[in-house]
Amino acid sequence: MSVDVVVNEEDLAEVAGEVWVSYLDPDGVSPLVPTGDEKQPSEVHASVSISGPWTGHVVYASSTEAARKAAAAFLAMDSSEVSSEDLCDVLGELANIVGGNVKAMLPPGCLLSLPQVVLAPESATKYPNAERISGLYGVWDGEPVSISMWQSRDDKNEESA
Amino acid sequence: MRAMVIDDSRAMRMILKRIVTKLSFEATEAGDGREALDLLGTMSEVPELALVDWNMPNMNGLEFVTKVRADPRLREMTLVMVTTESEQSQIVRALAAGAHEYVIKPFTEGAMIEKLALLGLVPTGANS
Repeated sequence: MSVDVVVNEEDLAEVAGEVWVSYLDPDGVSPLVPTGDEKQPSEVHASVSISGPWTGHVVYASSTEAARKAAAAFLAMDSSEVSSEDLCDVLGELANIVGGNVKAMLPPGCLLSLPQVVLAPESATKYPNAERISGLYGVWDGEPVSISMWQSRDDKNEESA
Repeated sequence: MRAMVIDDSRAMRMILKRIVTKLSFEATEAGDGREALDLLGTMSEVPELALVDWNMPNMNGLEFVTKVRADPRLREMTLVMVTTESEQSQIVRALAAGAHEYVIKPFTEGAMIEKLALLGLVPTGANS
């Protein structure tokens, strides 16, 4: 089963905007600013997999510093106090929230996995048989943050068949 | 009043605990549905409110809601699903299983307090 899915950068930006307003920047002073730079570096990433009528992954990636700031905002602590465990927990929750909201834009019946977190760049992990179909690339207080969507090639092949 | 926050993310538990504590609830927490049921089994007084994530390891939120509603000792708890699952069919499933309200992540503190106020769980003046 396969479906034609269009979730573009604007859709991802809307989700990111809600996450920032709710947890990372409730005062609205430090939003995620899109740059469109697909080659920006990342140092940590978290992902959730989606299966069903659409199959693929949603990946949240950032610099370690941005992840540390995010964890500090979530946990209401100073960023110097943030541990690796905190980073993993918050990155996983960010991937879960972003992935869940992306899933809402997909056809009904998709399932969301629990998040996976890797304290290494997104480029260090391969998503076999999947290709990036959209992405939001930006900076938050000068630190790179991205949200990307990867669709299973099997899914895409069925679409074009 | 007492509230239990059930979410596999420690960060999300902290955010939710912050909100309910602000509303004068005494808060406890659990990392999944199984842990929550175990903890409830040890409590002499059942919390009035539980905020329950859906996607959790071991026992998910929907299973937890179903088990609570089937347990005469627990079934009076007010259950609020707090989750990224926003499909209409999922919301209907949760409400049919016995959840009273449904909050979709991400949520602001104000939105959560509004939902709890709708359930009559916000003391007068607590959300001002």
